[in-house]
Amino acid sequence: MSRQPIIEIRELTKIYKGAGEPAINGISLDIFPNEIFGLLGPNGAGKTTTISILCGLFSATKGSVLIDGLDSYTNPEQIKQMIGVVPQDLALYPTLTGRENLTFFGNMYGLRGPALRDRINHYLGVFGLEKHANRLVSKYSGGMKRRVNLIAGLLHDPKIIFLDEPTVGIDVQSRVVILEYLKELNKRGITIIYTSHYMEEAEHLCHRVAIIDRGNIISLGNPADLLAGHPEFKSLEHIFIHLTGKDMRD
Amino acid sequence: MKKLLSVFRKEMLLLMRDKSGLTMLFVMPTLLIVISSLMQESGWNSLNKNASVKVLFVDNDHDSLGVKIRSGFMNSGSFVVIDSLNRQPLTASMAKEAVKTGDYLIAIVVPQGATKTMRANVRLSVAKTLAGFGIGNAMLLNGVVFRDSVDMTLYFDPTVNRAFKNGLISSVRENYYKIQSEWVFKIFNQEIAAQMPLYKPPKEGFREVLRFREEFPSYREVELIPNSSQHNVPAWTIFAMFFIVIPLTQSLIQEREGGSLFRLLTMPVPYMTLVMGKVMVYLVVCLLQTAAMLMAGIFLLPLFGLPALVVGNNIPALFVITLVTAMASVGYGLMVGTIANTHQQAAAFGSISVIILAAMGGIWVPVYMMPPTMRAFAMLSPLNWAITGFYNIFLRGGNLLQIAPQALKLCLFSLSTVVVTSLVHKYKKGVNS
Repeated sequence: MSRQPIIEIRELTKIYKGAGEPAINGISLDIFPNEIFGLLGPNGAGKTTTISILCGLFSATKGSVLIDGLDSYTNPEQIKQMIGVVPQDLALYPTLTGRENLTFFGNMYGLRGPALRDRINHYLGVFGLEKHANRLVSKYSGGMKRRVNLIAGLLHDPKIIFLDEPTVGIDVQSRVVILEYLKELNKRGITIIYTSHYMEEAEHLCHRVAIIDRGNIISLGNPADLLAGHPEFKSLEHIFIHLTGKDMRD
Repeated sequence: MKKLLSVFRKEMLLLMRDKSGLTMLFVMPTLLIVISSLMQESGWNSLNKNASVKVLFVDNDHDSLGVKIRSGFMNSGSFVVIDSLNRQPLTASMAKEAVKTGDYLIAIVVPQGATKTMRANVRLSVAKTLAGFGIGNAMLLNGVVFRDSVDMTLYFDPTVNRAFKNGLISSVRENYYKIQSEWVFKIFNQEIAAQMPLYKPPKEGFREVLRFREEFPSYREVELIPNSSQHNVPAWTIFAMFFIVIPLTQSLIQEREGGSLFRLLTMPVPYMTLVMGKVMVYLVVCLLQTAAMLMAGIFLLPLFGLPALVVGNNIPALFVITLVTAMASVGYGLMVGTIANTHQQAAAFGSISVIILAAMGGIWVPVYMMPPTMRAFAMLSPLNWAITGFYNIFLRGGNLLQIAPQALKLCLFSLSTVVVTSLVHKYKKGVNS
């Protein structure tokens, strides 16, 4: 891995209007090219806020973010062109077909014509959706929707992909296909920032993880090192529970 | 530009597949136009020959006055005179009961001896007047007094509109005065002839000198007669255009709640492009709605025996007023969709506010029929500006100049909704981010 980070986060703080406590509290983090980086944390820990700032949706209250050397505050358009976002919600139009959804999102990245058609056909093939491409998304199963949701974030060949719970609520087969493809993308040099509640999934997929809670990074490192540092625990999930506590979060 | 067209295409596809939304946008206003026009036709059309209001008529006079009032009603063309129920000649008590039970709206009772009373009073008036000239025997008039006035009883159902009631009373009164005038003229001649043998009464009888000619001043060469079609087609078209608030707000909120907007905002596309794509689609829908409603007015209404809509030649003015109305309605939808947080809020506030603005703006009841306070409020409704603009074209034959004030108001309204939308969007973004 190169030593020059592709994402540099410095003292990033976000305080929502009217909120007493910061959603993220001065976090600093480097993510390197070609890394699969897991952002793990319970509900309300600050994962989505961090990703939203990195994607240019929100501005930070304090601190800075550089993405591929570009300041996220002053260069949002260039950054948006190089990132792909796969939201946790199935951000698709149910009354459009899978192909129509992908064509529209491809158009929004400036893709069109045969080039876009070829890419769509390629991804539909990879994710086993060719036969269903012209069906309305509302008729898709949960797993099919997740796969289309993922493709929509990949169409423009981004350098960095943000995945927010990409495998939540789907069948095992779809999950395996998605995770395998993420590994393949990573082999092609794409950086992946990934959030999940599935610790086992993160343990096997991510090169490094940050456990974040109440707006602070409470642990950072590769899963093997974290496990080595806590020999009393058998898995990342146990470490996670140990660090974040058993209290349920809203 | 290409991204804008892609948003436009996507919105169009979404709308085309929303069957209930399309029904609401196109079928509902067409039905409203047909039903309202059918309901209002007799009220609007002064030339209507199909009598519709049934009047129970009890003639206890059985003389000239009763006959003349009866024939006056029959000849008006607006009433059906009924003088028997269940094959029984109508009596005053039967008529009162029939109105009380709500079976009939109006009953008129001409009292017994009405003609005799009127004739006696007229004769006495003439005699007294002539006595003043020394004609006739003034001694005979000493102690002779006028008889009590004729009490005509009218029974009305409580639901009868006051204006209609006043119109009916005026009609009875008009008939009465007409008959009285004829008798005064006739008896004068008879009395003078009796007293002055050389007097030759005029060959012509009493003639009315005042006649009414109805005209509807307009900018056109050919006179337009207002009818239910000329009112209902633009009225319900405007209503339907503003009802676009429902699908437009649903589209905005669905995109926001479904997460598509989140994804789109992470893409290299300006927010304004996403909004403008929607605006363009709904503007096209408004124009198509207007075209469809005009077609319904021209071709569909005559199939129901209603007058066809006369669009006239002022197509540029019609296009402009349609476009600015569409801009105002889409702007309003955009504003409501941005302010509302949920589908429920948008649907409830959107539909109720449009209904209030429509009622206030004279879409259902003409503004001139409203009380003065409401008339002042009506001027604040964008639907009122729109309907006034359409009236200027359809009823007054106006051109671009005549619709300019309304077009300007609608433009400013549309602009202000965009400003409010933008401010609310910024505020919400500030709160959430």
